[in-house]
Amino acid sequence: MVMDLDHFPNFSYSATTTTTTTTTASTDEGCHWNDWSPVVDWEAFSGGQEDFHHLIDSMMDENVVVHQSTRPIVHELEYNTLSPEYNTMTDDETNNNEDCKGLRLIHLLMAAAEALTGAHKCRELARVILVRLKELVSPNDGTNMERLAAYFTDALQGLLDGAAGGGHGSGHHYKEEHHQTDVLAAFQLLQDMSPYVKFGHFTANQAILEAVTHDRRVHIVDYDIMEGVQWASLMQALVSRKDGPPTPHLRITALSRGGSGRRSFGTVQETGRRLTAFAASIGQPFSFHQCRLDSDETFRPSSLKLVRGEALIINCMLHLPHFSYRAPDSIASFLSGSKTLNPRLITLVEEEMEPSSDGGFVGRFMDSLHHYSTVYDSLEAGFPMQGRARTLVERVFLGPRISGSLARIYRARGDKEGCSWGQWLGAVGFRPVNISFANHCQAKLLLGLYNDGYRVEELTSNKLVLGWKSRRLLSASIWTSQDSDL
Amino acid sequence: MFHTKKPSTMNSHHERPMCVQGDSGLVLTTDPKPRLRWTVELHERFVDAVTQLGGPDKATPKTIMRVMGVKGLTLYHLKSHLQKFRLGKQPHKEFSDHSMKQDERASTLELQRNNASSGMMGRSMNEMQMEVNRRLHEQLEVQRHLQLRIEAQGKYMQTILEKACQTLAGENMAAPNYTNNKPMGLELNCGPPSMNFPSLQDLNIYGNTDHQLELHHQTIERSSINNAFMPSNNDTFYLSNKRPSNNSSGKSPLIWADDLRLQDLGTSSCLDDHNGHIQIDRGSDVDSGSDIYEAKPVLSGDFEKKFDVSTKMNHSAVTAGGRSSQFG
Repeated sequence: MVMDLDHFPNFSYSATTTTTTTTTASTDEGCHWNDWSPVVDWEAFSGGQEDFHHLIDSMMDENVVVHQSTRPIVHELEYNTLSPEYNTMTDDETNNNEDCKGLRLIHLLMAAAEALTGAHKCRELARVILVRLKELVSPNDGTNMERLAAYFTDALQGLLDGAAGGGHGSGHHYKEEHHQTDVLAAFQLLQDMSPYVKFGHFTANQAILEAVTHDRRVHIVDYDIMEGVQWASLMQALVSRKDGPPTPHLRITALSRGGSGRRSFGTVQETGRRLTAFAASIGQPFSFHQCRLDSDETFRPSSLKLVRGEALIINCMLHLPHFSYRAPDSIASFLSGSKTLNPRLITLVEEEMEPSSDGGFVGRFMDSLHHYSTVYDSLEAGFPMQGRARTLVERVFLGPRISGSLARIYRARGDKEGCSWGQWLGAVGFRPVNISFANHCQAKLLLGLYNDGYRVEELTSNKLVLGWKSRRLLSASIWTSQDSDL
Repeated sequence: MFHTKKPSTMNSHHERPMCVQGDSGLVLTTDPKPRLRWTVELHERFVDAVTQLGGPDKATPKTIMRVMGVKGLTLYHLKSHLQKFRLGKQPHKEFSDHSMKQDERASTLELQRNNASSGMMGRSMNEMQMEVNRRLHEQLEVQRHLQLRIEAQGKYMQTILEKACQTLAGENMAAPNYTNNKPMGLELNCGPPSMNFPSLQDLNIYGNTDHQLELHHQTIERSSINNAFMPSNNDTFYLSNKRPSNNSSGKSPLIWADDLRLQDLGTSSCLDDHNGHIQIDRGSDVDSGSDIYEAKPVLSGDFEKKFDVSTKMNHSAVTAGGRSSQFG
């Protein structure tokens, strides 16, 4: 193998860089590599699993071996750029192509992430790797791994460009506003092919219903109401409840932000109108309010209009696949502000990111890659033949989520952000509320409606976790700040 | 009745002939280690004692022994009998717990007979049965509620989609037969192709199949599709088969799960339908989402697979719903 050092001036650097990358992987993240195989459907690539494991083993063995295994990546950068047909020749077995490609993509992504943030920063290298990655993948076709890699590539590119400009990095290539029709179609598809949305909504709603069995007035403060889909089913349930007083009056206060996005004042207002019409159509007494967040998305409890005698519910849907990224400061201000209102119940739905040991950017980057590859796989299992439908969902929801997620971990380099919002709630003094049998049962039944592979587990007494195969993805937990038992 | 109330006559029915009746009326085997037979009379006395003591949970072997006052009864006998009484466990004939002591097995056999006559154990059996029923009932309730919730959510989604269609239609061209002020949830608009699938999904939820062909074929026939969403349909929420050829629109909610699953796979059939029929270019703005639902030659490789899946789905429809499907 000939190396064209002129063409690749930073090679000596890059060798060290990539070595550090995979060293991190073999020490801190080593276990994650083992986790990969059951989750990522490698067999879909070609079925050459043994070779894949062999490759991984070789990666994990020794630094020396790592060195060797990462070196060819850099070589490939050269060869493939120069002569594409050489690409296939470098692969020992042609039927392992896909397999190798998936693995190579992971290598390249790791190398890029490392080059972007590692001890030996090398932006040029990162740039070159990203260029190469873009040649290899497209978000619109290829295997799950390839499409996923495309979004990660893009997100990294965003970080690179953003960092260069001094601003906060965020992927922008796929950030263009999608047409509303696309968003809705994708939203509907997402609901049809995966239980994520309904799991979050229904688990929270069931907890709310159980908490307000005897109340005549219910007030829900919703952090992120979006299209308001969550509340249709709650209204239906309130209207049809048999025990307790007649259908309670439901008041929803939606928080709204400035700007013109999906959560702007106007959009929320329209959601309010729609909810009001829906409530009227089924006979649910209902009123709707908005509460504007401050310009920096800080929540001021005093801006809420509260009525004595109402059961106050705080609803916080954070990471359902169709939600986009929210600033942690904003969430923290909302949750801690809520505490002062002494709510009857807090419902929280958030992503389950399995903790990266101590992470660093590359560690968390790989966690993220792992997480989203699981999501991709679950969607693929749901609608195996609808590649285009999935592509739409990925483009509209997951792509932006990935870049948001990476931007967050990029900015959070150094600080230990690791704790989930559930842990955070516990730490600031909210008390867990038990998940009922009915709620657990409902979640199980719901998952039964979708393809195999999803599972629900009661991780703690107040938290249901939705997982795909061996990976936890989304959790719903319920809390209270009141002393009395519900 | 299996046997009379007289303990002594029991032996004739029993496979163990070597029993003796003791002074106190207890029936014991003649084995080196005598085992007690819980006769009907004895069991009734036991039950009386337990009742007198405030129920099986309060009574203890010691207190029962005192209250019963039967000579020869030991704490050991009472302990195991009370244990079973508390559990309300149905001692099956084919009881396979080999670790169980012989005399216990003998007494459970007796108990079983006694159940038939006394009905005392039956009562606690009922309690257990009721507990099982309660759980089962709760699950059914949860299932029923879940179905209603999914429907409510679907209905709400429908209103969003309709609104989006309206907006789109307004953007593109003023549709002739179009009114904006219809009540929510009662109309279906055929938007751009990308909206076709969600609409279909919801159409299925609302149990309308008759108009799907129109939906597939023609946008202009909006009015007829709108008919499908008249208010009367709001109470026919049962899920139905999505195939245009199959007109059954309501079915037992007990098998809804399978239907939903089918429905979740709905796009396959939609795509197949498109494949089989003529794909209509609706002339609205072809955004990137639209090509999802179009049968393009590029996908031809996929279509075979799709067809495969649909066939499987059909098959499962037949087995799950007990209906035949003429798809194909």
